[in-house]
Amino acid sequence: MARQGGDAPAAPDATGWLGEHRGPLTVTDNFAVLDDPVEQREFTEIQETDGVSMAESVLMVQGMYCAACADTVENALQHHPGVERAQVHAATRRLTVRWDPAKTRMSSLAQAVGATGYRLLPLQQALSISERLRETRQALWRLFVAGFCGMQVMMYAWPAYITEPGEIPADIDQLLRWASWVLSLPVVFFASGPFFSSAWRDLRHGRIGMDTPVSIGILVTFVVSSAATFDPTGPWGYEVWFDSLTMFVFFLLGGRYLEHKARDRTAGALDSLMNRLPEVCERQTAAGGFEAVSIRRLVVGDVVRVQAGQAFPGDGDVLSERATVDEALLTGESRPVTRERGQAVVAGSYNLGGPVLMRVDRLGRDTRFAQIVSLMEKASTEKPRLAILADRIAAPFLVAVLIGAGFAGFYWWQIDPSKALAVAVAVLIVTCPCALSLATPAAMLTSAGALARRGILVRRLQAFETLAGITAVVFDKTGTLTHDRLTLGSIQTRPGLAEDAALTLAGALAGGSLHPVSRALAAARDARGLSNEPLSLSDAEEVAGQGMQARQADGSWVRLGSAAFCSVPAAAGTEQADDAPRVHLADAHGWVATFELEEGLREDAKEAVVALRRLGVQTWLLSGDREAAAQRVAQAVGVDHVIAGASPERKLTEVTTLQAQGFKLAMVGDGLNDGPVLARADTSFALGHAAPLAQAQSDYVIQGGRVMDVVLSLEQARATMRIVRQNLAWAAIYNFVSIPLALLGYMPPWAAGLGMAASSLLVIGNALRLSSRLPATDSDDNTPFGAPVSA
Amino acid sequence: MSVITKTSQPAVYNDSVVRGFAIMSVIYGVVGMLVGVIIAAQLTWPELNMGIEWLSYGRLRPLHTNAVIFAFGGSVLFATSYYVVQRTCHTPLFGNKLAWFTFWGWNLVIVSAVITLPLGITTSKEYAELEWPIDILIAVVWVAYAIVFFGTVGIRKVRHIYVANWFFGAYIIAVALLHIVNSAAIPVSMTKSYSAYAGVQDAMVQWWYGHNAVGFFLTAAFLGMMYYFIPKQAERPVYSYRLSIVHFWALIFTYMWAGPHHLHYTALPDWTQSVGMVFSLILLAPSWGGMINGIMTLSGAWHKLRDDPILRFLIVSLSFYGMSTFEGPMMSIKTVNALSHYTDWTVGHVHSGALGWVGLVSMGSLYYLIPRLFGQKKMYSVPAIELHFWTATIGIVLYIAAMWIAGVMQGLMWRSVNPDGSLTYTFVESVKATFPFYVIRLLGGLLYLGGMIVMLWNVIMTVRQGRAEDVPVASVNPAHA
Amino acid sequence: MDVLYLLIPVSIVLVFVIIGIFWWALQSGQFDNIEREGERILRGD
Repeated sequence: MARQGGDAPAAPDATGWLGEHRGPLTVTDNFAVLDDPVEQREFTEIQETDGVSMAESVLMVQGMYCAACADTVENALQHHPGVERAQVHAATRRLTVRWDPAKTRMSSLAQAVGATGYRLLPLQQALSISERLRETRQALWRLFVAGFCGMQVMMYAWPAYITEPGEIPADIDQLLRWASWVLSLPVVFFASGPFFSSAWRDLRHGRIGMDTPVSIGILVTFVVSSAATFDPTGPWGYEVWFDSLTMFVFFLLGGRYLEHKARDRTAGALDSLMNRLPEVCERQTAAGGFEAVSIRRLVVGDVVRVQAGQAFPGDGDVLSERATVDEALLTGESRPVTRERGQAVVAGSYNLGGPVLMRVDRLGRDTRFAQIVSLMEKASTEKPRLAILADRIAAPFLVAVLIGAGFAGFYWWQIDPSKALAVAVAVLIVTCPCALSLATPAAMLTSAGALARRGILVRRLQAFETLAGITAVVFDKTGTLTHDRLTLGSIQTRPGLAEDAALTLAGALAGGSLHPVSRALAAARDARGLSNEPLSLSDAEEVAGQGMQARQADGSWVRLGSAAFCSVPAAAGTEQADDAPRVHLADAHGWVATFELEEGLREDAKEAVVALRRLGVQTWLLSGDREAAAQRVAQAVGVDHVIAGASPERKLTEVTTLQAQGFKLAMVGDGLNDGPVLARADTSFALGHAAPLAQAQSDYVIQGGRVMDVVLSLEQARATMRIVRQNLAWAAIYNFVSIPLALLGYMPPWAAGLGMAASSLLVIGNALRLSSRLPATDSDDNTPFGAPVSA
Repeated sequence: MSVITKTSQPAVYNDSVVRGFAIMSVIYGVVGMLVGVIIAAQLTWPELNMGIEWLSYGRLRPLHTNAVIFAFGGSVLFATSYYVVQRTCHTPLFGNKLAWFTFWGWNLVIVSAVITLPLGITTSKEYAELEWPIDILIAVVWVAYAIVFFGTVGIRKVRHIYVANWFFGAYIIAVALLHIVNSAAIPVSMTKSYSAYAGVQDAMVQWWYGHNAVGFFLTAAFLGMMYYFIPKQAERPVYSYRLSIVHFWALIFTYMWAGPHHLHYTALPDWTQSVGMVFSLILLAPSWGGMINGIMTLSGAWHKLRDDPILRFLIVSLSFYGMSTFEGPMMSIKTVNALSHYTDWTVGHVHSGALGWVGLVSMGSLYYLIPRLFGQKKMYSVPAIELHFWTATIGIVLYIAAMWIAGVMQGLMWRSVNPDGSLTYTFVESVKATFPFYVIRLLGGLLYLGGMIVMLWNVIMTVRQGRAEDVPVASVNPAHA
Repeated sequence: MDVLYLLIPVSIVLVFVIIGIFWWALQSGQFDNIEREGERILRGD
């Protein structure tokens, strides 16, 4: 039962000796709308664990500008009654909070966060990205102002560098200084805004943030240069630094902007998906005409007309004769696909042909692509271990920097006062703990995005580190190494009866049954182009575990199913009695036909096992199926070890044993029945599109059903960790080298700005390498989806 | 004349003005190049002055520059900017009457130039020779142009403004600013005025204008043309649209200060010259950004160059653009400039940009445009386009090679000193040495002119077999607006 | 070099004008969804 009245927001605890970091916003919103069940549904999921319902919500935090902000928000929520866990990912500004609807309300959580200076916003997944857009625009705008003014200031400053004192007439020299001053105003008072406001907030609470040294540097430089401009004969009058100032603001903003864009690219791959959904749809009215409605107003069951070139607004069935669809979004293939009447189309895919009528079955967050979006949003929220470590180092480091700058300034003042300022400013600017903080998330997010475009979804970024270290892969059999579909092999029939006739009859019996055997027979019948008329069967009945029966037109019964069900010997119609799956058809006269079915092996399974061996990883097949069947598959694929006939409990024990032996293992299953085992393994893959994403327990979801994607993911994970190590090493070396140089006076301020931005850019650039190392898929566009929706 | 319709009928583009400018640009091209050939011949054989003052080199040279830049170049820009802005904004021109005014006004400016310049009525400021009454007419026409162009952008049906329009818009504004500032003068009679600036100050303003005229009129504007016609002819989108936007902003703000590089080793203060040099060098990057973007648009479809001479015009123009925008910064380095200033190398540089870039991109764009303006799919004769391409290209190569050699030779001869400090060569000796290169240059120019005449013929034949048709304005798919 | 008293203020004004134009372009969404705009001219017409 929800508590009445708003909860008083819990006062944030003072953590650390310097107090709490705060956000820049003054939040006075009434968050009641977040409690509205319809709204809340958009960003919240209720999960049942041990009979208790917990809610898990993903929201965006507005006002964040550095890693320390994430801590503040988390702290505000962790101590709030009713909250089990809150985690914020700084790079994507996503909050994932697990809370008890019986103990608190979303609005009070939002108020708690609001009290610390940040605003929670629900993630409007398929509908609006205006928030992100606005922030990107602001960042670009500041960057442009800084760059444009900086260019002109640089031009006015140039003469001073190339002339002897006195060569430029004093009045022209003064004109140039004034011009530089005027053009520096927008840079200092507008473009540098974010640095100052965050440093000011930190200062008010006695804490040092990443922007503190930068802000001090900018201010000092501007004030001194202004003094030189207004009073050229005064103590500071010899030199102005407007060019250095504007240039390093530009570089800093450039680095931040690229960081922003790189961070957006993962979630941004999603943005471009979201952009595909039309804002306005044509819905059929009761009268048969069409009205234009916003996509938000569609409901399940609506019939919508989708024009050529538009994307389908929801998942649903085609009502027109046929539709030509571009499902590159889903399958990675840009070949147009035909969907007949009654077949499914998916939200976000494009209609390539003429106008198509469709009935909407799933909208918004229920659509397949929204589920994927949700999964990826969550993934980007969780902080990997290394990132947490880096953030902890950054804080004391900044304090050391300020002290260092002060000392350097003081020291140089004794030796050569004209250099003191330049040195102090250089020290403040050149150090960049941001490279350290960015090192891990940049790489992992880039890889997650790259994999997503191949149809491999990553649920936790930490899984990259784990996967890179695995030494064994354990495969499930059915649905993993083999397709989860059965296919028809051979048909034996009663003398005098044609195969096609038997298949037609069997297919008619199989009808709409979803049993894999029935679907295999129906698929085979369709593949042969045989009639799918009901053949006037009546009283059709499916007997669980046994088969199907029905009455024919003449009243006699006909049965399709196991040997016992059809009252025929198990080996009827076949040469040998082996373990191949088999189903029989019988009627009043006795045996009619026998259909042998095959479990198709996935085409790339063998190749994948070979590749894993080459990577130094051992492979196991762990199956609940019979020894013979398991061995058959194991031989075909070439795994190192086979364990057959394992119950779920036994599977768990086997995995534990292997881990005790020192293996780090990855489990690959179909995601449906393997829950506990997947959870026990060090990391896990769910293969195929059957796995409902919301309940997937595995770290990786391979939608395309390609076993080679396991290998791909492993290689990508190893590459990611390589890049992370490179980035961390670079960040350390950069600071180690540049700080002494600055302290010793070898670094002019403009070089400091350049170095600082370059170091962040290098980290991001290095991480970007991860997005292009995957082999290209068929399509040339964003393709975060993998498998075709099974028809 | 097509009229913008109101309600029941679908609107049609105003292509009549475009047609007018397009045809005139081909005619003016021939005229301007013909005058160029005449003065080239006169440099080679000064007797060709024939003692007639209206035909003297000193008077014909500005006629040539004005004709090729403003008559030919200007008309092409009017034609293409009016065409592109309508189609990318999905709307007919704003201010139909005003658009026609710009047509007649501009042609009047040109006719005035043709009359006044041979008569010796000139301000003697390069590319700004026309006297004050014509300057006022130019300003009025230009204001009208700005209203038509920006008005059309203002009533666009598509939210995004295609990048080509940014280039056109920047050029229109820049030229207005440059013209008004530089042409500031105190008139003393209908045909004579004195510049508002004097001495080296005037030189600074003049070359601030001169270089920006090159930068905005001859570069930015034609880049706008390129960004439309290359994708359309190649049937592929621009290689990186994002780069085109970045390149635009980088270009406009770097161009403004390269002017002083025209005044190296003059009375202009050293440090001002250095500023010009540095910024000219910086200019290299944004210029090449555009070139790469345009050429790479063909990435994956290079085979089209084999069969399509129009595409060849457009792509080769970009190579010359790249070459000129590399050569320019190099020449603005003081040390290099010490050799090249006042020599024919400068002339070679100008013409590689003018014939190679401006000329070829205009021809390619006109070959795309003209058939479509007359209801045709292609020009009357595609082999004639091929012929034009080859004669033009060979002509360019002959021209600039001749001028490079002549220029470097002149520079070296002029600076050569004897051990006792006296000059090795007299000026007239360098003139005699240049003679053969003037002949080659004349040959190159003749080829180029010949190609243009072939184009004129091709255009006449295309127009004769075509019909001026009204093209309905393309509707914008609501899902994509 | 007195003409700089004209040219430099002119250029400062120009800088602010250009910044203003960029601001307008940004606010009116000219830089959103850039990828598709290049292809737009190839459609229709």
